[in-house]
Amino acid sequence: MNQPSRSLLGFVSAMALGACSLVPPFAAAQTSSSSEQWIHVRVESREDKTETVRVNVPVDMAVKVLPAIKHKNLCNGKVHIDSAHLDDVDLHTMLDAVRTAKDGEYVTVQSKENDVRVAKSGGYLYIHATEKKYREKAAKASEGKESANKTPAAWESKVEVKVPMKVVDALFSAGKDELDVVAALRALSANGNTELVNVKDEESTVRVWIDSKSVSD
Amino acid sequence: MIFLAKAALGFGATIAVVGAYVFHEGVIRVDVDENRAAGNHVHVWVPATTVSLGLRCVPRDRLEEAASKAQPFLPLLREISKELEKYPNAELVDVKDASDQVRVAIVNGRLQIDAVNEDQVVHVRVPAAAIRDVVDRLENAAPGI
Repeated sequence: MNQPSRSLLGFVSAMALGACSLVPPFAAAQTSSSSEQWIHVRVESREDKTETVRVNVPVDMAVKVLPAIKHKNLCNGKVHIDSAHLDDVDLHTMLDAVRTAKDGEYVTVQSKENDVRVAKSGGYLYIHATEKKYREKAAKASEGKESANKTPAAWESKVEVKVPMKVVDALFSAGKDELDVVAALRALSANGNTELVNVKDEESTVRVWIDSKSVSD
Repeated sequence: MIFLAKAALGFGATIAVVGAYVFHEGVIRVDVDENRAAGNHVHVWVPATTVSLGLRCVPRDRLEEAASKAQPFLPLLREISKELEKYPNAELVDVKDASDQVRVAIVNGRLQIDAVNEDQVVHVRVPAAAIRDVVDRLENAAPGI
């Protein structure tokens, strides 16, 4: 190999070395724990399918970032509840009663307008609420008719919340007037994949869930 | 001939090393395009290293002033930049309707913000390491704040 060729080879090698030094930051950015839990929020408009909101946040990131936020009632990852709203209700006693109680339905309300169900089962607290609504046309059409009461609801607004009891415990672990959001997130992360909130009404659907995927399905 | 080859090698190696250093933190990129007649089109590509180097040249009193203004957000920025570096490519937020879209994502350790509507298109790319560097500089400039 002659001298110019060697110099050229040296030059190319130096360039390659320089290029390689750019690679590590990108490679490091790709690594992540596969067991990482992510919170997903998805809001979709039922009227306009193009309107969507998607949020995907690693639980670990939320746990570390939340304590750094100090805004209004949120401080050190805890939300301070105005004690004026809690004077009449001892949340901790209620929570303790629910925790120690056997699985079962605690509240069942069924009416023409609303159904509400609060239950505990398999370590989860379930809150289901359904608001029955009539479309304006359907309501008008049924006015004055005896069968109005038997007319099925034109559409329903449904809210389904499923929260692990451990998360509820963690949420109220801070004290009487505080909700420990960070502790609740940690408990949520440890709990595994869970569908937390599902809301369906005429205008939109809302889903909040937790899983190990970094993208919403 | 040999002298020229050696000079080329030295020059090339220097360029490579300087280039590697300047770009090792990535590039901060801001693109703004206004979709109207005589609309502005701004495209800025800056090596992230120059930001941290530039901060060293800022007068201390100016840096302290900036630090005092940014102080409430510094812990938050620090945590976010640290966390962003840990995660793979992910879409954090995506909000869209018929005409607008806002997207915040992590791509190869860079925070990407895209805002698109009928009037203008904005793309911002910032390496998480650059955010951390800026936070470090501001905190060092005014540790007591």
